[in-house]
Amino acid sequence: MVAARARLEIATENLANVSTDGFRRSAASGFLTAHGVAIERRSAAGQGALRHTGRDLDLAIVGEGAFRLRDASGSVRETRAGAFVRRDDGTLRDARGGTLLGTHGAFRGARFDASALGLPAASRVQSGFLESSSVDAIAEMIDVLAAERSFESAQKAVAAIDLSRQKSAEAARVK
Amino acid sequence: MDRALFAAATGMAAQQRNLDTIADNLANAEVVGFKGSAQTFGELVAPGEPGIGTVALGARVLFNQGKLARSPGPFDLAIDGPGFFTLTDSHGRLRYSRNGEFSRAADGSLRTAQDLALSGVRIPADALSASVSADGAVEITSAAGTRVVGRVRLAEFPAPEAMRDTGGSVFAATSEAGRRHDVVPGSDDGPKLRFGMLEQSNVTIIDAMMQILTAQRAYEANAKGVQAADEMLRIANNLQRG
Repeated sequence: MVAARARLEIATENLANVSTDGFRRSAASGFLTAHGVAIERRSAAGQGALRHTGRDLDLAIVGEGAFRLRDASGSVRETRAGAFVRRDDGTLRDARGGTLLGTHGAFRGARFDASALGLPAASRVQSGFLESSSVDAIAEMIDVLAAERSFESAQKAVAAIDLSRQKSAEAARVK
Repeated sequence: MDRALFAAATGMAAQQRNLDTIADNLANAEVVGFKGSAQTFGELVAPGEPGIGTVALGARVLFNQGKLARSPGPFDLAIDGPGFFTLTDSHGRLRYSRNGEFSRAADGSLRTAQDLALSGVRIPADALSASVSADGAVEITSAAGTRVVGRVRLAEFPAPEAMRDTGGSVFAATSEAGRRHDVVPGSDDGPKLRFGMLEQSNVTIIDAMMQILTAQRAYEANAKGVQAADEMLRIANNLQRG
């Protein structure tokens, strides 16, 4: 039952982000342990589809890596959502107000190549495109339903175990 | 379970905001000079947690070019390329718009339907007809011949997305939009003016309909997630009864 619950959590989180640009879906993988089934969450590889926007400052990463952004609080976060707006001082900011970082501090250039943004050499930056969410709504829906059903089956199993224990307790009392 | 319920609920709320934006685009699909918006979403993260749903970060205006269509108005102008017309409202404040549907007022100024005057242009009373060339020069024909009476300049901003929408596809400058620079239209790689044309809305009905369908399906999928989480809670509550 715990495993089914974890599966539902992952599927609903993916579903919630079906429209979030640059979102990488999480995959649930189950494995058997001494205490039953455990669910492990990991970020699934696999690129989201690139969507043409025609805007110069919409950047999509083809390949691995992520844009690094510094928030107002100074903390650095990573994202693959590349819709940027140019500030007056030449730096780029994203929808959450973070500043895009290059290899040496804030990025101010006009040419977006992978090495200047600190991305792996095999990756490429595509201007005029955004990476759509890699979530497939139908697959996640099926996962939601499957999790619900397996939760139900687990409940039946719990009920059956409970019933048999009750029976044996009654039998013991009769003697 | 609460987390699943919460994540699915944030998804529903975000898609609702998305639908609002698309519906607004669709409503303005026939408005001259209108620029559509797109809702941006971000993943909700809590410290140490892998992800707890989504949040709508707000709509951003998309400034891609609308189609130019020929129009019969005597002072219709369209911008082919980036930039805005610089307008002045009745309080003397500067406003910016790409709607070039002007008409001549009694004082000779060219005004939009919202009564905003085009800066730098005044049509003299003796003008019989007027035209604007691609480089912005306003030329009038009167009984005394033709002469240039003004020049239309365009305003450009480093970050037009950060401008404030004051309604009716008219924008106001903000500090985030950056410093305004005036552009003389008509250069080879810059914007050009088209006289006798209007820029149509950059929203196409088919695209907007497609987006509505996608948003609606995403909303339904998230509603299903809420239902599943609710169902699991019900089953868990019934465990006691067997």
